[in-house]
Amino acid sequence: MRINAGNLKKGEFVTFQGAICQVQKADFYSPGKGSALMKARLKNLITAKNVEYAYKSNEQVEVLDVTSVDMQYIYKDQENLYFMDERTFNQSALPISVVGDISRFFKEGEKMFVYMYNDKPLTIRPPMSVRLKIVEADDAAKGDTVSGAKKPVKVETGATVMVPIFVKVGETISINPETGEYTGRV
Amino acid sequence: MKQYIFLMYNFNMKIQTTIKNLNNYKIYLQVERTVHEFMNKNNYLKVDLPVLSPALIPESYLEIFETKFNYLDKKEKLYLTPSPEIFLKRLLVTGVGNCYYLGRAYRNSEPNSDWHSPEFTMLEFYKLGIDYLEMADEVLKLLQYIKIENKKLKISFKKWEKMSVAQAFLKFTKINEEELFDEKLFFNKAKEKGYNIEKTTYEDLFSQILATEIEPKLGISGYPTLLYNYPKQMASLAKLNEDGRTAQRCEFYINGLEIGGFCTELNDYNEQEKRFISESEKRKKNKMIDHTIDKSFIKALKYGLPFCTGAGIGFERLVMIFANVTSIDKLKLINIID
Repeated sequence: MRINAGNLKKGEFVTFQGAICQVQKADFYSPGKGSALMKARLKNLITAKNVEYAYKSNEQVEVLDVTSVDMQYIYKDQENLYFMDERTFNQSALPISVVGDISRFFKEGEKMFVYMYNDKPLTIRPPMSVRLKIVEADDAAKGDTVSGAKKPVKVETGATVMVPIFVKVGETISINPETGEYTGRV
Repeated sequence: MKQYIFLMYNFNMKIQTTIKNLNNYKIYLQVERTVHEFMNKNNYLKVDLPVLSPALIPESYLEIFETKFNYLDKKEKLYLTPSPEIFLKRLLVTGVGNCYYLGRAYRNSEPNSDWHSPEFTMLEFYKLGIDYLEMADEVLKLLQYIKIENKKLKISFKKWEKMSVAQAFLKFTKINEEELFDEKLFFNKAKEKGYNIEKTTYEDLFSQILATEIEPKLGISGYPTLLYNYPKQMASLAKLNEDGRTAQRCEFYINGLEIGGFCTELNDYNEQEKRFISESEKRKKNKMIDHTIDKSFIKALKYGLPFCTGAGIGFERLVMIFANVTSIDKLKLINIID
């Protein structure tokens, strides 16, 4: 679908200089003289590198028509994360560098959406929230009543998260994987 | 009314209260106080101005807000001013002397983003008898005067990192002087770089390359960067230099963001009148709001604008630097969000 660059949104996919990219950020910018621009940060989904580009806001941009497929995250190695389509048993690999930091919250066996374009996996659709069990945590200092005090804990995927001091080992918490923030106990 | 509902439906704008921005807002107030103090100490007259005007200066790159004053069976169209220039220049003609405005300005078709809001605060000031490069010293003095306790501030206002537009293009885009000032060569170079050159103008391509390849690298090495001598196509209301191809215009940048600009004011009213006509034709062609044109502005200029330099600073953008935030909304307790 062709749209005005001025309507580009975070998360959309475009082709830029021959490579498929995902929009990481798109901000309106008017230099005052000369037409308005859309300053975009595009992540190249092959090299995982970000590039900054200012589109003219009335420039036509082809937004790729991608589909999201429900898959199971099965495992990872040094470079890739592997997903399986539960209906076809087809496996897809995505470089960790492309998926980004968020992958530290992925638990094997979890279901996730993978964006596909022409039957090729591009990247994942970040879940709104993930639920993970705490495996390591210091006991909260007794008598510490400072509201909002936090401590680091380790969750079952090995990632570290800051949580309120009353949260204990063995509890399951929910996390916003994009920001890495604790959002509550479950 | 229909259109209003349509817009609401499209954008779904909401009023957002964010009390956690209180500390940033206090920095905003502190910078505001310091600016008033600096202006007062340096004998600039503070001018309060209307924001509703029955006529405007035609500008082809700014869309405006239109409203209507109603009384019984009488009606009059009024417009929110996109800049205080229309009033300040009139005052300069009457001999008011050095003066400034710190207040609201309104620009339609500029959606909320990290660096834009349709309603924003502008600092505009004029000093008589100095040119754009002398104004650069004055602006630096102002920046030095704003002392806000902020340990995270990574910028010093001891000096400018000065760069002509031609030097910046050569350094960051490998477009040399000859290619920059020759429209045909410039288009070829842009095409080579992969820019879309169809249905575009020199001005638009210039802005696009500047924003993509140059701006992110300005004002990031510890000092604010001053870009000066813009190609004459980008002159706006600036006087031209003797080289015949550049204008006496500057813009300054901190952390890759344009904070403000200034130029030696063009006081040739014939030239101004020509620009009035061409800008209003462009507005018509681009189907922009057909507003009443301020013809008495030209009359005032005919009377004689004194030799002066005017500076405009996006006030929220300036405060963002001191508050160490990356978007305008973080400075406000109330935001209209979409």
